[in-house]
Amino acid sequence: MFEFTKVTIDFETSHLLFPTIISCILALLGISILIRDRKRIATSGKHWSIIFSKMDKKRFFGTLFLTVLYFSLMVPIGDLWPNTGYGFLICSIPFLFLAGLLFLHEYTKQTILPVVIVALIAPTFVWWLFTDLFFLSLP
Amino acid sequence: MELFEFLTPLFVLLVMGGTFVGIIFGAIPGLTATMAVAVCLPLTYPLGLENGLALLLGLYVGGISGGLVPAVLLNIPGTPSSITTTFDGYPMSQRGEGERALKIGIFSSLVGGIISLIALYFFAPALADFAIRFSYVEKFLIIIFALSVMAALSTDLLIGIFSGFLGIFISLIDTYDVEYGGNGNTRLMPESLEYWLEGGFSLLPVLIGIFGLAAILHEAEAGVPKGMSMKDLKVSSKNKFSFSIFKDQIVNLVRSSGIGTFVGILPGVGGSAASILSYTYAKTFSKNPENFGKGEPAGIIASESGNNGLTGGALVPLLSLGIPGDSTTALLIGAFTLQGVQVGPLFIGNNPMTWNAMIVAMIIANFAMFFMMFYAIRYIVMIITVPKHILFPIILMMCVVGAYTINYGIIFDVWTLLIFGIFGWLAKHLSLEIAPFIIGFILGHSSEIYFVKSLESFEDLSIFFTKSWIAVVLWVLIIGSIGFSVLLSRKKQDNTANEVAD
Repeated sequence: MFEFTKVTIDFETSHLLFPTIISCILALLGISILIRDRKRIATSGKHWSIIFSKMDKKRFFGTLFLTVLYFSLMVPIGDLWPNTGYGFLICSIPFLFLAGLLFLHEYTKQTILPVVIVALIAPTFVWWLFTDLFFLSLP
Repeated sequence: MELFEFLTPLFVLLVMGGTFVGIIFGAIPGLTATMAVAVCLPLTYPLGLENGLALLLGLYVGGISGGLVPAVLLNIPGTPSSITTTFDGYPMSQRGEGERALKIGIFSSLVGGIISLIALYFFAPALADFAIRFSYVEKFLIIIFALSVMAALSTDLLIGIFSGFLGIFISLIDTYDVEYGGNGNTRLMPESLEYWLEGGFSLLPVLIGIFGLAAILHEAEAGVPKGMSMKDLKVSSKNKFSFSIFKDQIVNLVRSSGIGTFVGILPGVGGSAASILSYTYAKTFSKNPENFGKGEPAGIIASESGNNGLTGGALVPLLSLGIPGDSTTALLIGAFTLQGVQVGPLFIGNNPMTWNAMIVAMIIANFAMFFMMFYAIRYIVMIITVPKHILFPIILMMCVVGAYTINYGIIFDVWTLLIFGIFGWLAKHLSLEIAPFIIGFILGHSSEIYFVKSLESFEDLSIFFTKSWIAVVLWVLIIGSIGFSVLLSRKKQDNTANEVAD
């Protein structure tokens, strides 16, 4: 239509065209937000300290820690018995048990017993379902 | 009857089972319909497309409906979409009319679901027929329109747009695929991560992270509130329910279902917008607006028919344009991809059986939901007491199973789940908008192809404005939605300023 709207795209660098445009838009939007909300951003330290002071740190960081541990151990353990899904099974049982205990509020025989039962049954059932019935590989 | 081959006992059982599990997820505060779909997705691999969808659609309908139970009995919305049900449901429950309030909500949910289903049945094929004619230019503009609508309906326009573009940006961390005419080069990643990120972040681990893991992290942060005991959940039945209550409410029912369906059709706008809008309209047009918020049945009717109206509506853009209508339908895209089926304008025409299966599954799910909840409400209430310390670890485990099996055993997908789980948690505290982010992430790749290919073939930027009249209309809509949002936020600011002045 007009000369200035004409564009030619170099195929060799075409993979960078759209990401560059999106990055520029993101940067512009980011700067606008920074300018508009500068007061709020300046006091964001307070915002986070409120979040952390209200947080149930034991349960939050406990969940994160257990999850990371669970994810990291699954494959190395699974590699000891390749293609059997034992890594998943062996890691899931203690994970479910410990996570259950972490989320529990009152520790009595009546409350802990269901956690133990579920920690044993649920992973075993899922493991059987996926490896024997669905033929899908688990770690 | 070849087109109804899918209708087997297993199919019906899966819909009903899905609905039941969905109701549980919906009824437990902190768990949502989206999470139910995310957690159960891995179960659909071996089921095939029709049976898999049967399960997922059951979960969707059940999940949206189950939220009304704690909303009425405990004043806590089970899902975000039943927030307005608490306004009148809880006061009714306190008056001793708990059962009546629940049954009003359940029947309204059914009507909302069915009306939206009718809209889906007639509207999706028509929209798809129209969209078949779209070239890359119009397809690109449709995506921009979808993002602009979502941003406009976000709490904060600027942050809404930012979230959408952030989603697009993250989806571009991959290889510019040769299959779609790209040059096969990777981008936006350090060399050391090329091995893992060559194919980008997989969609499903990202979704499972954001809707599964992040939700659990939020609950953990709040100390995993103790589950409900049966003592908290007394269903009072002083005033018996009767269908005669709906005699004067037909207009309200139809209007609210219509609003829900319409909000569902708007891409990326969730259930809470549907119910809030229906509720506001019901109050505005009511003869006794002063009764709203004090236990007015019309409020429950509006809220529940509105949020169930969403279910059919949200499937319209998904099945006709390939753009999910809300976060739960975004997960359904995952189910389609898993089975190698692409959703878009050609979907209904090319897959008539799957289309029929979806409609039939939705009908069964709506009626199953109604009968399960209406006649067994006292038992459904007991489900809410399932302790969270039992449920959450199982959900976490299912998230891992889902992420790992999605690409047949890639552990990086499990790490993706963790990364986006933490991102989802952070996003809430940073006030980022999740819905535009997800839609941006899902559509980022297509938008790149549509944009770059349009420019490669026409070599002129003006093509995005001059390609066809549809392109012009889409621009008008894009500018309109942003203008509308700016007006809305101005009005909001003025109101706050006035309130402060008062």
